Amino acid sequence: MATRSSPVSSASSIEISLLDRILDRWQKINSNYVVRTIIQALITVWAVITFTFFLIRLMPGNPIQVYVAQLMNAESITYEEAYGRAAAQFRFDFNASPVEQYFDYLGNLLRLDLGDSIISVGTPVISQIMRFLPWTLFSAGLGLLVSFVTGFVLGMLMAYYRNSPLDHILSFISSLMSAVPNYIWGLMIMVVFGVQLQWFSVGDLRGTYDPRLTPAFTPEFIFDIFKHALLPVITYVLGTVGSWMLSTKSSTVSVLGEDYVNVAEARGLSERRILTAYVGRNAALPLFTLLAISIGFVIGGSVLIESLFVYNGLGNFLFQSITGRDYTSMQGVFLFITFSVVLSNLLADLLYARLDPRIRVSGEK
Amino acid sequence: MTTQAAPLVSQQRAPLSGLWTALRIFWLGVSRNRAGFIGFLGIVFYIIVVIFGPIVVPFDNEVKLDEIAAPPGTRIQLMTRSENVNTYTTLESLNGKVVGVIGNTGGPKLVEPYEDTFEVEEYRWQAGRGIDRALEELMDGDIDALVIFSQTVKDYIDEPEQAGNQNLYTNLAISNPALGPAHLLGTDTQGRDIFSHIMNGGASLIFTALLAGLFSTIIAFSLGAFAALIGGVVDRTLTAIANFVLVIPRFPLLVVLAAFVQLNNFILLATLIALLSWPSLMRAVRSQVLSLRERDYVEAAVALDLGRWHIMTREILPNMISFVAINLIFAVTGAMYEQVGLIFLGMAPINDYNWGVMLYFGRSRGTLFNPDSAMMVLAPVLAIAFFQVSMVMFARALEEIFNPRLRSSL
Repeated sequence: MATRSSPVSSASSIEISLLDRILDRWQKINSNYVVRTIIQALITVWAVITFTFFLIRLMPGNPIQVYVAQLMNAESITYEEAYGRAAAQFRFDFNASPVEQYFDYLGNLLRLDLGDSIISVGTPVISQIMRFLPWTLFSAGLGLLVSFVTGFVLGMLMAYYRNSPLDHILSFISSLMSAVPNYIWGLMIMVVFGVQLQWFSVGDLRGTYDPRLTPAFTPEFIFDIFKHALLPVITYVLGTVGSWMLSTKSSTVSVLGEDYVNVAEARGLSERRILTAYVGRNAALPLFTLLAISIGFVIGGSVLIESLFVYNGLGNFLFQSITGRDYTSMQGVFLFITFSVVLSNLLADLLYARLDPRIRVSGEK
Repeated sequence: MTTQAAPLVSQQRAPLSGLWTALRIFWLGVSRNRAGFIGFLGIVFYIIVVIFGPIVVPFDNEVKLDEIAAPPGTRIQLMTRSENVNTYTTLESLNGKVVGVIGNTGGPKLVEPYEDTFEVEEYRWQAGRGIDRALEELMDGDIDALVIFSQTVKDYIDEPEQAGNQNLYTNLAISNPALGPAHLLGTDTQGRDIFSHIMNGGASLIFTALLAGLFSTIIAFSLGAFAALIGGVVDRTLTAIANFVLVIPRFPLLVVLAAFVQLNNFILLATLIALLSWPSLMRAVRSQVLSLRERDYVEAAVALDLGRWHIMTREILPNMISFVAINLIFAVTGAMYEQVGLIFLGMAPINDYNWGVMLYFGRSRGTLFNPDSAMMVLAPVLAIAFFQVSMVMFARALEEIFNPRLRSSL
């Protein structure tokens, strides 16, 4: 018995120690803020991919079924033929089991193969996305940057001169700006300044650049790019600057009451140094958590803003592919918009940890 | 022990008295907070419009014109040769003459009442070519007058490069008979009164937004409180789900869903919006409940073993009423944003004619770019903007009133 039991117990003890080691390793990995954040982002991406798979493939009345029915109606072909066409465009093997299909789908995504566009026949969706993605990142990123900087400066002003008329006016304006939806701002700009006052020509500012110019690093072309991005950027700024002002004000006010600011003042440090090194830095920290939410909001809102101004970014492409019932493009763009948001969130989190060591050190909140 | 337990038991009246105190604080605060008072008045105004608007101003659905929108107080102008400028001063004075109209700017409808008295010659706009021909024929005497109705046509004629127009005069400005008395906000592309659409177009939008806000708040509160009170795996799972839903770009997902789910039912739309918008509030509720749970009176209730339901509804919820109200308002404005956005893109074909549908038509019919029809877009834009502003101002005021810490610091 004893001789028999010893290998079992030793095996189980090896197992336990292995499990222990894995758990231990996991604990170590998990306690590293950067690694943990990256793993969380990866899990989110995987969950979105899986969710999209169910949505596109398995939900009743899903896009593939709709598309097959459309093909059968429009071109009077049999169910099998239509199914075959859909399978080729969606990159699905319809004879495989759902599980196999799922892993095929994951594999295709890893190879960035999102299928072929239904409207632009023969064009892979990924090449379309790569054409439109930079413009959205450019305009939405510029909008966020401008709105963050403006909102931060104005919010600091509000906090420094709190309860003054300036503060009251700016508070009122920022509440007002944050309340009005961004596409409503866009419509107002368009109707009032474009159509009524004719300060700019709505038609000329469509698209991402003047088609008569050839893309190159010439001052002319770069100026043109900024000109075309102007309306979407202004709209993003108007839609988000109010909330930046309000949150900067409240975080600055709380920093101003801190002891280290009083000490800095008592030490006779210059106003400028206190403002930048003591107040500004610490007031900016909590805003980085808001940055992540803001990125998602701006990129999500790009569907509305880009289609309003006919700015050829990912948002407008999503709108076009939905109105044109281009389901493969729709799926691809949605995935890419989500990836961009998750990635931006991740970058914001990592930046936050870089700036605030307390986040990195504390393992769990 | 019994003396200590007695006040705790009598706290059963707490929810109502808590509500009453909250209402009193609310009124004191709102009457002092200027922006909040404006927001409050705005909300009252919207409630009145939504309830009484349809009764006072019935929906104008009578199509009077073809393709032209009439700006507020539109008048027709009549164009003649210089020698006739004092002869033809009213439409009646054109008895037996030939009158030109621009066909696709609603002209035919306009002169309909006079068709027995004068002969009508129709021209098409055709990017200005039709007007050129009409002006030529007016100069040659083939027609005696030209009716101008659209600002676009007038601007075209007034352009300096329109040679020979010096001999032609627009001399008549009379109220548009087809449109009746001048409309407060003008008419849409079919000659229907925009003001009546504004008065009738708010109810369904506001109702859906309220419903979505309510659903989302209920989900957020039940899940948040549940996670905080149960803790452990349940808490971690719910928080993980919330973090996951939070990171998905909400609006693109709604747009994608709208592509193959018919969103023509407003309860479905409200539910869908609510299902995607609860996470941030849920996290806030969770941390609120976690901090409230540490309070002495809650600990006392736990020690007395009053049960989770009692603790939740009697001890914790009454202290969160202002928090609930504020976040409900923010949830409603968020739902309004998404709902109108979907309708504006044409993704939610809701069957009634609301402010969002007005925006959708404003764009899909190209009236967005027509200087004549600015009001068709601007009126619903302002209606939505003021609704959102009133709600947010009111919510921010509530925040200041019920969060004294915030009030002293801000």
